[in-house]
Formats: sequence, C-alpha cells, structure tokens
Amino acid sequence: MMVDRRLFQEIDWVLIGLVLALTLLGVFFIYSSSHFLPKNYAVRQLIWVGISLVALFVVVSFDYKFLVSFSVYFYALIVAVLAGSLFFAKLVVGTKSWLRFGLVQLQPSELAKVVMILVFARLFAEYKGRYLNAQITGLALVTAGVPLVLIMLQPDLGTALTFMAIVGGAFLLAGLKRKTIALFLLVSLVVGFGGWQFGLKDYQKKRLTTLLNPREDPRGAGYQITQSKIAIGSGGLTGKGFMKGTQSQLRFLPARHTDFIFSVIGEEFGFLGTFLIILVYFLMLARMFLSVAKARDRAGVYIIFMASMLIAFQFLINVLMIIGLFPVTGIPLPFLSYGGSSLLSNYLALGLILNVKMRRFANV
Amino acid sequence: MPGDKIYEDLSVVVRRANAVFRVIAVLILLTLSYYWKVQILEHKKFWDMAEANRIRSRVISAPRGLILDRNQTILADNKASFKVSLVRENVKNAAAVYPLISGLLGITEEELRSRVERFKGLPLFEPVVIKDGLAAEEIAPIEARRLEFPELEIEAEPIRSYPHKTRAAHVLGYLQERSPEEIRDNPERELRLGDLGGRAGVERQYDDLLTGQDGALIEIVDSLGRKREDRARQMPTPGRDIVLSIDAELQARAEELLGDREGALVALDPSTGEIRAMASSPPFDPNRFITRFTPTEWVQLVNDPASPLENRAVRGLYAPGSIFKVVMALAGLDLGFITPETSVYCSGSLVVYGTSRACWFPQGHGFMNLTNAIKNSCNIYFYTLGRQMGIEPITTAAGELGLGRKTGVDIPGEKEGLVPSAEWKMKTLKTPWFPGETISVAIGQGQLQVTPLQLAVMTAMVANRGRRVVPHFLMGAGGRPAAAPSVSEPPPFKRTTFESVIEGMWRSVNDKGTGQGARVEGLDVCGKTGSTQVVSRERAEMLARAGKPIKTHSWFCGFAPRTNPRLVVTVLIEFGGGGGAVAGPVAGEIFRMWSEKERSRQ
Repeated sequence: MMVDRRLFQEIDWVLIGLVLALTLLGVFFIYSSSHFLPKNYAVRQLIWVGISLVALFVVVSFDYKFLVSFSVYFYALIVAVLAGSLFFAKLVVGTKSWLRFGLVQLQPSELAKVVMILVFARLFAEYKGRYLNAQITGLALVTAGVPLVLIMLQPDLGTALTFMAIVGGAFLLAGLKRKTIALFLLVSLVVGFGGWQFGLKDYQKKRLTTLLNPREDPRGAGYQITQSKIAIGSGGLTGKGFMKGTQSQLRFLPARHTDFIFSVIGEEFGFLGTFLIILVYFLMLARMFLSVAKARDRAGVYIIFMASMLIAFQFLINVLMIIGLFPVTGIPLPFLSYGGSSLLSNYLALGLILNVKMRRFANV
Repeated sequence: MPGDKIYEDLSVVVRRANAVFRVIAVLILLTLSYYWKVQILEHKKFWDMAEANRIRSRVISAPRGLILDRNQTILADNKASFKVSLVRENVKNAAAVYPLISGLLGITEEELRSRVERFKGLPLFEPVVIKDGLAAEEIAPIEARRLEFPELEIEAEPIRSYPHKTRAAHVLGYLQERSPEEIRDNPERELRLGDLGGRAGVERQYDDLLTGQDGALIEIVDSLGRKREDRARQMPTPGRDIVLSIDAELQARAEELLGDREGALVALDPSTGEIRAMASSPPFDPNRFITRFTPTEWVQLVNDPASPLENRAVRGLYAPGSIFKVVMALAGLDLGFITPETSVYCSGSLVVYGTSRACWFPQGHGFMNLTNAIKNSCNIYFYTLGRQMGIEPITTAAGELGLGRKTGVDIPGEKEGLVPSAEWKMKTLKTPWFPGETISVAIGQGQLQVTPLQLAVMTAMVANRGRRVVPHFLMGAGGRPAAAPSVSEPPPFKRTTFESVIEGMWRSVNDKGTGQGARVEGLDVCGKTGSTQVVSRERAEMLARAGKPIKTHSWFCGFAPRTNPRLVVTVLIEFGGGGGAVAGPVAGEIFRMWSEKERSRQ
C-alpha cells in the first residue's frame, strides 16, 4: 500500500502539471461562467479537485497489477450498481444516472469507464496473438456489452459513446482481422438503424438531425449549437476579455460551466485562448499516448492506451460538439468542465497512467 | 524488440497505439483549423450575431405636434396615458397581495386573476398589463405607493387628446392606425404599423408636420429577454406644433348656433382666406378614435343617417338656391345683358317656355331693378335674365366665381360640386340641354351642386370685388408663420361690376330685405339668403296646393363690413326652412360676436 521513495521519484510530474494546469483553468472559467448563479460552482469544483487528488493518490498507491487482478470484483460491483440505479436511483435531469451519497452525487457510469479499462487490460493481457480470435472477441463484446446496455438504458448517450470508444480502442490495439472489422461495421449498421427506429428517444434523434441543420430548430436543440458557435466566432482573435463575453455572461450559452465551457474560453479569449488550451491538451495527450512505450507489460500498455483514449475521445468530441461538428451528446471537456463524477473518473484514469508508468522498472 | 523489454515483445501493440495517436493528432489539427475558420475568418458574421442577440431596441413614442387656434388655444393636445402592469415573478404571495392591488387599481380581484390567467403562458418576468388608459391624476395614488408594490410596473406614453371633445372635430379630423399601404408608400417617413396617423382633417393634411420622430431605448437583454441595462437612449423628436386660423370662441359659438340641426357654417377672412370657423353638424368626438370604439359604436357611427363623420362644409353638396342669383347678376352685368338700372316687372309668376314659374312671393314684387331684385330675391327678375343669357355664360361665370371646382382648402376630401352645361349634359346624360333647365339654374336649382365652403369663397370674391382667395387653416408650423397660399388668377369681373350687387346684398340685410335676420347694429353686413327646394318642383307645387309646409334647405351668405370686408359667413341649415328666417339670424350672431371681439381688441 505504501508508495516507496523510489516509485515516487518515477511519477510523471510533467503530466500531472499539465493536468493540474487544465484543472485550475477550468475552475477559473467555471467561475467566469457561473459567478452570477446562486450556487458557487467554482468552490464546488475545487472541493472535487481535492477529492480527485486523494483518489489519484489512492490509485497510484496500489500496483496496477493488483488492481487488474481485482478488476473482476470491480466489474461485478459496478454492473450491480448500474443495474440497481436503474431501479432505485433518484431521477435527476431526466436520467437515472446519478447516485446520491449524502451531499455527494456520483454518476456510476463515469466510474464504469475506469473499471472497464482494468477489465479489458486483464482480458487482453492474457492474449498475446497478433489478431483477436472469435472466442475472445465474443467474450470481450459480452463483457463490454452488459454495462454498455445498462448505461444506454439510463439513458446516458454521452457516457455510452465514450464507453464504446475506449472498448473500440482496446479492440484496435488487440488487432482485428479485416473480416471482423467488416462484421463489426455490418452489425453496427444494423444496430444503428434499429436503434434509430426503436431505441433512440425523440430528443436524441432531434440532436442528430439538428447537427445537420441547426437553424431548423433555433430555439430547441439547434439553439445550443447556434449560440455556442456565435460565442466562439464572436471571440475573434483575442476575445472579449475575462468575464466580458456577452454570450456567456448574458446566458445565451447553455450549460456554460459544464459541457460548453470551451465556448466561454473561445468567446472571452478568442482564437489565442482556444489555440493555447488545445495546445496544452495536445501536449498532455501526446505525453499520455507516448507513455505506452514505457509500460513494462501488455496489461500496462492496454491501461495507458485506454485511459489516454478516454481523455482524448472526450476532448475531441467536446470541442467538435460545441462548434457544431458533432451532435450535442452531453460529453464534458475532461478536467475543465464542471462536474465531480467526470473529474473523478478522469483523475482515476490519469492515476492509472501514472501508476503504470512509475512501475515500469518495478520488479514483482 | 529483445533486450529492451525483458518480459515480452510489446512492439506490435505499441506501434498500433502510436498509430492511433497520430490519427488523434491529425484530428486535433483539423479541429484547430476549423476553430481558425470560425473565429478568424467568420469572426465578423458571428460578432454581428452576438451583438444582435443581446441588443433590443424599444420605441419611445414621439408626441404628436399640438394643434392650436389663432389665439394659442389648444385644440389637439397630448396627454400621458398610463398603464399598470403586473410583473408576476415579483409576486411573493398572491393571496395576500392581489386584494391589495385590486383595491388600489379599482378593479375586482376576479378581473385581476382572470388577466393573469389569460397570460399565464408568458414568461413570468414579462409584465401583464392589468389596467391601461389611465390619466395622470388616476396614476398619482398608485405611483405614491410604488414602494409597497414591487410587482407593479407603470409605463407612460403620449396619446392624442382633444380637450374640447367635439369642437372643430371636422377641421381637426381624427387619427387611425396607419395602414400597411401607407407605410409601404412612405418609406422615408419611418412609420410603424399600429401607430396612429392622421386620417381626416388637419390631422391628415399636416400629418408629416405633426408626426414626430420616435426615439429608441437600446437595452442589453439576456437570453430570456430580460432587461439588464440601458445602453443608449435616443430621445424622440416631437412633432411640430401647428397654428390654425380657427378662432376657438367663434368656432364654439358656430357649433352652438347650429345646435342639433344638421348643417354647416363657414366663417373666413376674405382678405386672406383664413378660415375663422368651420362647423359641421352633427359633430363627432375624435377622442373616441384614440380610446377605440366598441364594434357596435363604430357600426352606429358609420351607419348614422346624419353621417356625423362627414364634413358638410367641404363635402356636403347642395343646390345654392337664391345665393346663385349673385352669380347671375354679376354675369349679366359683366356681359351687358343688364345694367343696374334694368327693370323687370314681377307679377308673382312668369310663363317661360310654356311653363308657368312662380316667384317665392306670390303677390309679386312689382317693378324690380337689380338691387331690389337681389334685396328681395325676386325669382322673376332672374328667370328673365336667365332666359336672355342662356346656359353657357352662366356656366362660365359660375366657374369663374369658384363653383364646380375645388377651393383648394387645406383639408382632404373636398368635393368640387357641379355646374351643369349643355356639353356636360350631353356627355353624361346623353340628352340635349333644354332651355327650361336654364331657368331652374338661374335661381340656383336644377343640377347645380355646391359646397358651403365654395359659396363662402364666392362670397369672399364678391366682398373683395373680384379678388380670389384660397381658404385655408394653416397659419404657422413649428413656431414659424406659414405663407398664405397665393392666387395668380386675375379677377373675372371689373371692380365696379360688384358695387350694385353689393348694394343689393346690403339692402337685403339692412333695408328690410330677405336677409334682415343677419342685421347687426353698427356693422354693415351685406348678405344673400337662399332656400333650396329639396323636392322636385312638381312635387313642391303639389304640396303647396295641398297647403302642406315644404321644408327647404336654408342658406345665408354674407360679409362685413361693406368696405374693407373682414369676415365672410356662410350658413347652411338642412331642412331649416326659409333662408332669411333660419340661416340669416345664425350668421347675424356670428357677425355680432366677431365685431364685439374686434372692438374689444382695439
């Protein structure tokens, strides 16, 4: 349990620095975009940062091998919680995805993503072949499918998408034959069509069609995209200045401090601001992905890769969503957006990366 | 890769991971370039959209210019109209505060609740008007208790008000909502739909002077449309005040004299053409156009057989009757058909073209020269003259004296009337002119149609010994005097031609003639009476034989003083009876009041 001095020295402080920089910028912008609201979101986010740092320390303290071997129990637990929350959880904002522990609300689906990283690391670490065979593919699909279906039922489309992205990433890494890829495409087409016809709720369909033509519904789903794009575009090169964004300060922007926080940055700090933030993300993601080479074993590679995918996917989808290139799916900007569960799960993922990286020379 | 990794060869998965990252790096680069496009290349477009998003412009209505009479009496004013609105998001405890509010505004709690209920679909911050059209004195007690009622909002806007109600209503006209066509046809005037604009009278004629330029209040609003702060205020430019030649006191007297009889009265200054009074009865209350009619009121007003909205002074068409004898006399003298001394014997009737025509005085006037013929309004004299002249010279003279054409008065809707001629009859009725018709025209009957204003202008020409004037109301606008409309046409007849006619008119009033009802002590009033048959001649004679009274339109046209005339008065009273008995005294009252006012001024 104790982290010894040697391991402590191996921690990637640069990566932690980049993440902390983004996190603190996030608090700053959460304040800018929500100071006029009754709840103090910036302070709440700071509390969550504290919780996340503690969680990070806890994750780093255990050898990832140990975490991987326990992943089956985590998996069983999270599936049980997801299933339970479907039936018992208090209804919050139309989804059943929140669990209340006293003052703290948690989204179990956020934690499910981290658990999935460990489960898949365990599943694929055993498999050393160049390409996946049908048996393990099937097993992996069932393993991923159970929590995925539960998340989709909540319904939490954004988390489900992220979930699929990391699972898909794991498959890519493990290697897929062309035939399997073709089969996947066929199945996803059928499922996609079926989902559109029978599975998707009207508001979800609307979000997809709105993407193609945001002006069609300027006061509804398209409103968010239009207003967000206006915010970003009106920022110009240097922006309107801190707390001077008319779109965000006058509340034209929806979900300013959560999913659309990057629009606030774009409006108040212009292209220079968006460029710098994207640059920091790029540096962070590069450092995460390139850590793959530092893993001492296959499980480590999978952990780093999937954790990096988790962050990268959310980042890309969010910055594309707020500028109207991706449907509004409720995916926050990792580390920056307001939201405890999301922050916690991203810090847990970061913890996993650091964990693998610092133990590359460790001898078991 | 052996050596390096002591446990296993991970090169394949690492390579795949790096490949995925390269794809992500490219995606990030593409994303960044799209942000470049939106934030740098399309910046202007989105900047404008953001500005338009948050700025709302609210109109501050410009007050209309005032309409004043010649003595600065306000005929058309603006008053503040207040409306009280309820801002529901500020209502803490409806059950406690509603009874208080309804008590304060003098409405029932039920009314209040039903208004709130009606607008419950509106966002809560949007004020609901609960009472409007309140006057300043009604708002004062509410304003005084504003602090106790944070949920109430009071707004004021200027609305037109005619303090003397029906006074000079036909001159002033009225306001109605501007039509889409009017707005489309006047793009330079920046009119708005729903605004009130002049529809009749002076309000219409000088609408562009009276209409101000609305101001604007630029507000910054949030996404819910709630006002956050005032950005700029563009003050409205009020419309220009205009001064009319009307004398409100004379006007009031004129209306009072007409009373509930249908008719019209015009008083004007023959030296300038300035109209001192123009009354049309029955009148209407232009204030009702502002506060809006109920549908039944409107239908009643429009279908009223007495047509109160019509300005009889400029739109009412009547036969001039004996007033036309003035035209006959002038034309006869000018063309040499008669001299002032020409004498005709009146026996009470005359057979012309095989038809027996009666004088209004069946006993006969005896020998009549021109002056006496005018004084006594002898029909026989003018039958004889008409037979001599034929229709053409009569038509020409009538036209030269302003009949059958518009006077050019500065209110819209004036009618031009009709002076018949052989040519006109052939063209419109496709029948030739019968000489007998000339005889009817000679005493102002037949197809002749004139407006009271036309006769007033004709009287002014007589008073001026031939000099023509354009009747008008506008004396000044925006603090500057307005130029009187000029006339370039030369007098149709010689100055001296008028004198014997004027002598007859003077004697008509002052020497026991038909116009003696208009006599005013100490003022040389000259005038001519007229009584117009409204029914056909045959029917009139039938009624006369049956001994039934024939109600005729009653006319009087006159001017005073005889030299340097300063006032022309024309009175028409529909179905009033004899001109001398009914219209004459009304004109006399106006002359009397005017001369008293003139005297007291000196």
